[in-house]
Amino acid sequence: MTTANLEIDKKQKERSKIHKLLRRFKNSWQLYLFLLPALTFFIIFHYLPMYGVQIAFKDFYATEGIWGSPWIGFDHFTRFFDSYYFWRLLTNTLLLNLYQLALFPLPIILALAVNELRNGAFKKWVQTITYAPHFISVVVIVGMIVAFLDTITGLANHMITSLGGESVPFLTSPEWFRHIFVWSDVWQTLGWGSIIYLAALAGINPELHEAAKIDGATRMQRIRYINIPGILPTVVVLFILSLGNFMAVGFEKVLLLQNNLNSSTSDVIQTFVYESGLLEGQYSFASAIGLFDSMINIILLITVNQIAKKTSDNSLW
Amino acid sequence: MKLKKSLLAATSAVLLLSACNNAEGTQGEDSAETASEKVNETGMPIVDEQIQLKFFADRAATTHEDWNDVMIFNEYEKMTNIDVEWEMVPTDALAEKRNLALASGTLPDVFHSADISNLDLLEYGQQGVFLELNDLIDQYAPNLKKLMNENPDIKKGITFPNGKIYSMPTIYEPDFLSVLDGARPWVNQEWLDKLGMENPETTEEFYQYLKAVQETDLNGNGKQDEIPYGGTVIDGLVGWIKGSYGLGNRGIRHPYIDVDSDSDELRFFADDEEYKQMLQYINKLYSEGLIQQNIFSIDYNQFLANGAQNIYGSTVFHNTISLFGEEVGSKFTGGNALEGENGDKMYTDLGSSLAGMGGFVITKENPNPAATVRWMDYFYSDEGAKLFFMGLEGETYQETEDGEVEYLDKITNSPDGLTMEQELAKYMTWLGGGYPGIVKQDYFKGSESLPSSIKATERLEPYIPEEIWPAFTFTEEESRRFSALATDIEKYVKETRDKLITGEISFAEWDNYVQTLQDMGLEEYMEIQNAAYERFKNS
Repeated sequence: MTTANLEIDKKQKERSKIHKLLRRFKNSWQLYLFLLPALTFFIIFHYLPMYGVQIAFKDFYATEGIWGSPWIGFDHFTRFFDSYYFWRLLTNTLLLNLYQLALFPLPIILALAVNELRNGAFKKWVQTITYAPHFISVVVIVGMIVAFLDTITGLANHMITSLGGESVPFLTSPEWFRHIFVWSDVWQTLGWGSIIYLAALAGINPELHEAAKIDGATRMQRIRYINIPGILPTVVVLFILSLGNFMAVGFEKVLLLQNNLNSSTSDVIQTFVYESGLLEGQYSFASAIGLFDSMINIILLITVNQIAKKTSDNSLW
Repeated sequence: MKLKKSLLAATSAVLLLSACNNAEGTQGEDSAETASEKVNETGMPIVDEQIQLKFFADRAATTHEDWNDVMIFNEYEKMTNIDVEWEMVPTDALAEKRNLALASGTLPDVFHSADISNLDLLEYGQQGVFLELNDLIDQYAPNLKKLMNENPDIKKGITFPNGKIYSMPTIYEPDFLSVLDGARPWVNQEWLDKLGMENPETTEEFYQYLKAVQETDLNGNGKQDEIPYGGTVIDGLVGWIKGSYGLGNRGIRHPYIDVDSDSDELRFFADDEEYKQMLQYINKLYSEGLIQQNIFSIDYNQFLANGAQNIYGSTVFHNTISLFGEEVGSKFTGGNALEGENGDKMYTDLGSSLAGMGGFVITKENPNPAATVRWMDYFYSDEGAKLFFMGLEGETYQETEDGEVEYLDKITNSPDGLTMEQELAKYMTWLGGGYPGIVKQDYFKGSESLPSSIKATERLEPYIPEEIWPAFTFTEEESRRFSALATDIEKYVKETRDKLITGEISFAEWDNYVQTLQDMGLEEYMEIQNAAYERFKNS
């Protein structure tokens, strides 16, 4: 065969490839159509805005626009790393997230428990009650927290003082901030978070349970050896996903609960970005910090995903 | 086929979007030259042919939700032939919305009462986003010019180091003291009488009074619920007490620096020995329970509710009658400037006559800058101030026999059962926000001009510093460096102040605090302040 022939052959192959692709399109265009809105959404709202990230390395002037502003390299990053608040922001953000992460098993436990309930009406009742807080907005939640925990007028302190204790300034003590933040979050999201696990539990083959019962397995044993392994893939995937949001603490709630007195634990990277970016208009500086935040996130996500891939067979990609 | 079409639509949408973004980026050139603007130099109307302008305005919760429907601006539109289209932004979202407008380049013609900082004025002024107003003021703002000539501090204050003016300010009449100090100290006179005490003159007497309030059931409800000092922020009390330690003696526009009375030099006072003494004093009050213990987290409405129940022994606020109601509020009388342990007796918590600079800024998008300047300048005149604060004669106010002005009965006693503030909001907008213009005692009927406020301020008058400075202006280079330093330092100072007061950290940490300030670049911060001070002094 001559080289010319080879060329033609290659072209033909390519053509048939394109042909195949088109045919696939034609056969299942409905599916692609379904994909389109999500795709457009991501392109418009997640990929296009990324070109703005460059202002982290620029001295941003509104009149010059994003392209026109002069490059200054890593100056904003250096300023952030040298800032007095850098370590405080970083440790606060990390600790708050680790704390939240440590409570990751709670919805699983709830789901396992609810799954064991045999009385249908009672089960529904428990579920509804645990979901309900999920629908309350952050501002209202914070209002409730303040109403409960205020030093003088708060319910909690009324109880403490009537029992002869001394009232505790919950809202203004740095040592209380993390507990308040994390546990109110648990209260709010516990029921909602358990839905997916309940669905996974429902998918476990009942024959396994029947067989185990005949073999004389106790309830605890069945949970330990059937239910938990059954939902483990779901758990791993959800764990990786939650790490993807690792640095993204509930920013509004932190901001609303923050004051000068508890700032030594409540000052996190995102509130700092909000202050310096939106309130003080230092866009470039704030973008640099935000970018740093995202970098940590990506590194974490990839690392954990790799570990999960190696140790179990479950991973995101 | 369908797929192709929709794909095409999607791609074109994407392209369009990025095109928009690019257009934003290239809008750099000045488009608003005043080439052929038709404007009448004097008299009304300002323009013969009606023009429209877009104003971005801060809407405080106490004002009407849409200023397009407010009487005075509609009336003014008829006078001037300028139709202002108000775009309202609630105060809570002001900083965000304003910064977004500036950064995205979708500009209004004017930023009205939008509280633009000096740093932003300079930055956007130099970029050409805000118009330079020197010549326009010279030519079209006779009223403002007159005020600037009478009071050189105003001119010094609004001129940047490059000699340019980018905004039209908010000015308080210099002898209208009770508006210059904003909030003022109050003590419960009824309780003083019951205790047989005099209105405290020294910090020690004040302490004794608070102690007595704490130990006595003064409101006679059988409960020990009296709170000696209450407020919504600690800043009020600090503002009252700092003069007793000789601090802040150039006014609140300089919350961290003043002039050292010994060396006559600029000093950063938040690491001064006297500042420490002051914090120790306030810490004593707090730790003995003499300051409301939830002052750092209390809700404003909770505070008002407490006040109305008559449980406060003292507070710092605008006016107790307008806040706590006539019955409880009238029990209060103004507090004195207190003499501190070192013999200082001053009241320094008041601002300069140049109350704000960021109230009125014209952007490059504005096609009629001269007419806009004339529109604003009216509010620096006596008539303009009257219109702004009193409305129209016969419509909202009347003149009494002795030449004073007062609101009509339908406003003070609303037929619809509204409060005076709610009724006023239909007609005018001065009830909230940093509006530009001049505030005059004759026409300003806010809580600052209530008789009790005036009386309370008179007590403080002999003890206010002679010199009260407006804020300094910086060069662009200075301001970039300064904003980075100031963000960190001032945040740290405020946080540490509150922690020392509540005892969350002890005074043993003081040296550490002073050292940290040095590490944060206090020296450079002061160098920049000094450079600005030199310019201010010599201009």
